[in-house]
Amino acid sequence: MTDTPALRVEGAEKQFGETHALAGASLSLGRREWLALLGPNGAGKTTLVRSVADRVRLDAGRLELFGQALDGSEAADEARNRLGVIPQEIALYPTLTAAENLRLWGELSGAERDELGRRIEWALEWTGLEDRRRDRVETFSGGMKRRLNIACGVMNEPEVILLDEPTVGVDPQSRERIWEMLGELRSQGAALLLTTHQLDEAQQVADRIVIIDHGRDIANGTFPELVQQTIGAGRRVRLEMQAPVAPPAGFDLKGSVLEGSIDDVADELPTLLQRISLSGGRILDVEIEAPSLQAVFLHLTGRELRE
Amino acid sequence: MIVTMIRLGWTTLKRDRVALFLTFLMPVIFFSIFAAIFGNLGGGGGEGTELKPLVVIAADEDGTEVSTNLIQAIAAQEALEVSVEKPGEEGAPSPGPWTRDEAYAEVRRGRATAAVVVPAGFAEQYGNFAQGGATVEVIYDASNPMARFTVSGLLQAAAFQAAPSVLMEKGFDALDDFGGGGLTPEQSEAITSFKSMIDLEQSQGTGTGGGGGAGAGIGLVTVQETAAHDDSEDGEGGFSMVAYYAAGIGVMFLLFSMTGAAGTLLDDQESGTLERLLSSNLTMTQLLGSRWLFFSLVGVTQVVVMFVWGALVFGLDLFTAKRLAGFGVMALATGFAAAAFGILLATLCQSRAQLSGLSTIVILIMSALGGSMVPRFVMPAFMDTFAKFTFNGWALDGFLKVFWYDDPEATLVEALVDLAPQAGFLALCCVVFLWVSRRLARRWERA
Repeated sequence: MTDTPALRVEGAEKQFGETHALAGASLSLGRREWLALLGPNGAGKTTLVRSVADRVRLDAGRLELFGQALDGSEAADEARNRLGVIPQEIALYPTLTAAENLRLWGELSGAERDELGRRIEWALEWTGLEDRRRDRVETFSGGMKRRLNIACGVMNEPEVILLDEPTVGVDPQSRERIWEMLGELRSQGAALLLTTHQLDEAQQVADRIVIIDHGRDIANGTFPELVQQTIGAGRRVRLEMQAPVAPPAGFDLKGSVLEGSIDDVADELPTLLQRISLSGGRILDVEIEAPSLQAVFLHLTGRELRE
Repeated sequence: MIVTMIRLGWTTLKRDRVALFLTFLMPVIFFSIFAAIFGNLGGGGGEGTELKPLVVIAADEDGTEVSTNLIQAIAAQEALEVSVEKPGEEGAPSPGPWTRDEAYAEVRRGRATAAVVVPAGFAEQYGNFAQGGATVEVIYDASNPMARFTVSGLLQAAAFQAAPSVLMEKGFDALDDFGGGGLTPEQSEAITSFKSMIDLEQSQGTGTGGGGGAGAGIGLVTVQETAAHDDSEDGEGGFSMVAYYAAGIGVMFLLFSMTGAAGTLLDDQESGTLERLLSSNLTMTQLLGSRWLFFSLVGVTQVVVMFVWGALVFGLDLFTAKRLAGFGVMALATGFAAAAFGILLATLCQSRAQLSGLSTIVILIMSALGGSMVPRFVMPAFMDTFAKFTFNGWALDGFLKVFWYDDPEATLVEALVDLAPQAGFLALCCVVFLWVSRRLARRWERA
């Protein structure tokens, strides 16, 4: 039973008019796992997340939450109580106080009434808003609203959290605070499906990454696996020369810059530098670039993430 | 630069259809509505724009030729629609002429605008100027101030036409009595001959006496005016319009506040809270239902505050069991229907800005046609028909039944049953509005 994934999406299809928003996308989110869902704009990420949140009805495919098919049945509704949805928008009532917003969204998400008071106290402490509990949300800074927005989505103590762009428009300090908060949820055992445009964040926090494009998943794995599958684990080396030289094997000369890839920096780089020097070339600068998720993404989709 | 900014302004305006409508068409529509209402008062207006005839009941308690002539003369006035006999059951003959009490009750309940009561002994006093002349009672609905003066004025005109020969005869008798030497035999013979001519003309319907311009000030008959509602303390109907405007203004602002409140649905949509609400355990039906219930409570409270203020400050007679019950029914029906109307408009619109524009247009037009701005009795007949298609028209009719046209003799149950058409129509509106809203709200549900 414990092998059953927290969330499973299989062959999801959805068409809006002539547009195929989802064209057979699949993914699986393990228990306690953090999965980053990446894709260019219009790739189908939001439709996929909304379908799990019961806001989009799939034309075909299957959704399961802890093995329970999300098919509109009573049991499916029951299963959805184990789900928390945190939207990208600050979906709060600005004229309510922080505590009032927490109570509202807690009640609507099915949090136990007896537990609600305790849960509100936890959320206020978790977000660092204890001293602002009676202040209206409209008086909050962007980062405070963002934290409260996240807290309102987990009032029912969900085991699976759908998190859409949690740090968009947030300053670096608040961003750090948000990831600390989410780290606490991770330690409590929550599984998380994260959509983000912040590739560095996805790379840092996600256990696994799924890249989606044109409505279907095109890559799935840990970051090293994706690198291996796409651009390879080699480091990109860029040598700026005083004057053009004959390029060594595996390198290209562009103007006075030599560009190429090496698999083992410790072994191959000294040899490369020595060979160039012996051939009379004078090296002005050396750049070594580790494989990045951005490069993987570009390789897979042919587009930058924000295109 | 200036040209660029003007071009920007024009492009923005022409792409905002609501703003275009409010800027150019709305004023024309409003002008047309008010021109249609008031245009005929100055004698203008064409076919079908004339005021609807005033419904008047004539009770003849004298039963003489003179009183019959008077009522016929009144009935001949185009501005009046005179009922002399009680209507019978379907196809059955009339149960007889109206009595004074029956006429009073009919005016009181709003089934007639006024009643003319010709008392017993009228013929004897008619033209008897020495003893003050004849008296006719006009029972009027003080909620329609035009009716009182129109009927009284036309009554004086009719009095001249009723029996001119009698008038002349009594006039010369008086001259004979008080004139000193009296008339010579030749003068008496000439008068008798002239009187025969007048009688002949009148019997042939060619009389020329009197005219539409004869006003109450001439005083051929003394008009005793009686308001059909004793809650008009000053006897001039001073309080009568309080109920009318409490209902009229109250309903108009109720519609505005309900559409404003229903706009929170669009605020939720724009801020993303709607998506979040619907991602929770809340269904769309629950969402609309809870919003409707809350708006209804706010709306009913708003109406209650308006009328209680009217009662406390302007003397509106609210605090009797029958009126409280009737008011309760109408306040609930109006509040529920207005809340549903607000939700309907909100679900029709794509944005808060669109809702503001549309609600302004719809509510102002409905209020103008339905009588919230201008009493319906000043409207031409065809405009009054339009009122039947407005929310305001039905709500106002219901409130006026409670505060103005209530039957003092009716039991509480009878009074409530009397409100069934208005309350029922508003309840039906409420159901239809909610049903349509629910269907329109599908666009916010699962895609």
